[in-house]
Amino acid sequence: MSAITGMKKSSKSVVYTIEECASCGLKTKRDFQSGDYVYKEGGGCTKCKGKTMINMIYSEKVEK
Amino acid sequence: MLESLQIPGLGDSSLLGLLIFWIPFIIIMLYGQRIQMYISLGEISRSLNKLKLMKEKSREEVIDFVSKISQSKENLSEKIDQFLEYFTIQPVNLDPAGIVKKIEHIVNVKDDRMRAEIKQLVSSATDVQTSNIENVIEVASALNYYYKAVRHFYLLGKKTMSYIWIVQLQMILPTILEESNALMKAISAFKQSQPIGDGIGAMVVGKMMIGKEKKTVAKETAMSESEYKGRGLYLIKAEGPGGNVGQPGNAIARMIDEMGIKIDVIIMIDAALKLEGEKTGEIAEGVGAAIGGIGVERFKIEEVASKYNIPLYAIVIKQSIIDAVSAMKKEIAETTDKVIEIVKRAVEEKAKEGDKVAVVGVGNSVGISQ
Repeated sequence: MSAITGMKKSSKSVVYTIEECASCGLKTKRDFQSGDYVYKEGGGCTKCKGKTMINMIYSEKVEK
Repeated sequence: MLESLQIPGLGDSSLLGLLIFWIPFIIIMLYGQRIQMYISLGEISRSLNKLKLMKEKSREEVIDFVSKISQSKENLSEKIDQFLEYFTIQPVNLDPAGIVKKIEHIVNVKDDRMRAEIKQLVSSATDVQTSNIENVIEVASALNYYYKAVRHFYLLGKKTMSYIWIVQLQMILPTILEESNALMKAISAFKQSQPIGDGIGAMVVGKMMIGKEKKTVAKETAMSESEYKGRGLYLIKAEGPGGNVGQPGNAIARMIDEMGIKIDVIIMIDAALKLEGEKTGEIAEGVGAAIGGIGVERFKIEEVASKYNIPLYAIVIKQSIIDAVSAMKKEIAETTDKVIEIVKRAVEEKAKEGDKVAVVGVGNSVGISQ
């Protein structure tokens, strides 16, 4: 639609934290919170109650 | 009507023709360069205003960041302004022999002084916070310098009405503005301790170090020992999650010269600036010391590698200058596992069983532990 109208959709970058469970490999994506850093131990896994670890923090563009 | 505008004695030419063609032509012939100069000055002035806004915003961000950590009500602006005006005098290069050692000394003095003064200003700051404050001040200081340098050449061009000054400044301004925008994004990442694109090398090696014992082998530089298919691995990266770049050159030199470790292969992983048209997150392999900065660490690694005849291999992850200093993009973060596989393949191909390989993850470790 934007290509037809020639209007540019505005986008902004959001930073996400990706936690991965060491036992079952379940990955969860949530908004970045202050205090997060890569390879920090996370909370318990929602699926298997195993230990999770933050394995990525990245920014991604989202359309407003 | 047109006939009435004809100038007697000028044949077919009309007054209208004179107005719409000959007068502008003569003006452009005589004053074209001056007109172009005013247009250029106008453009530079607008860019200068943008740089001024960025400089002021970055200063406010630094004051806000330091105030929040120190939780002090005292006015920090005077001290922050002093930080922003700090300068470093590079050693004289008339006799370049031994200049790297002198540069290293000056840079170390600068870093130590800055760190000590930050600790004095914000005594409650942790090491991670101190590194992040240092990074934020450095970014704001760079923006402050960009503004002042552009203003200097703008005013010089205006004063001398030198077309050469003005045109050169106008040509370089898009690059300066791009870098300034990148630096503004870096402030936000450093304040929140988020990994930046430049940290991808540290992120790759940090993942390989998980669960292994860490030693400090040089200033703000961590090392872990590991093993892969009979080859000994020495994993080196800047200590995180604070915003450090460490001293990988000193680390390797110390491991070989002082700790007596015989390194057979060095593999370096770093972010590299992409050329226009290349994709962010592209991985490339090559040879040589993959490390940026002022050149001291690169010199040391090259020195030790050539002294002991150690082959140097490089793996780089391509990105723009904006990507390198702002919060790490998804395309860059997702290369971590691919790069680890490339490192493993390189270890297998370039080293024999029983060999020792130094794997160096270069880059700022802000938001990246090990």
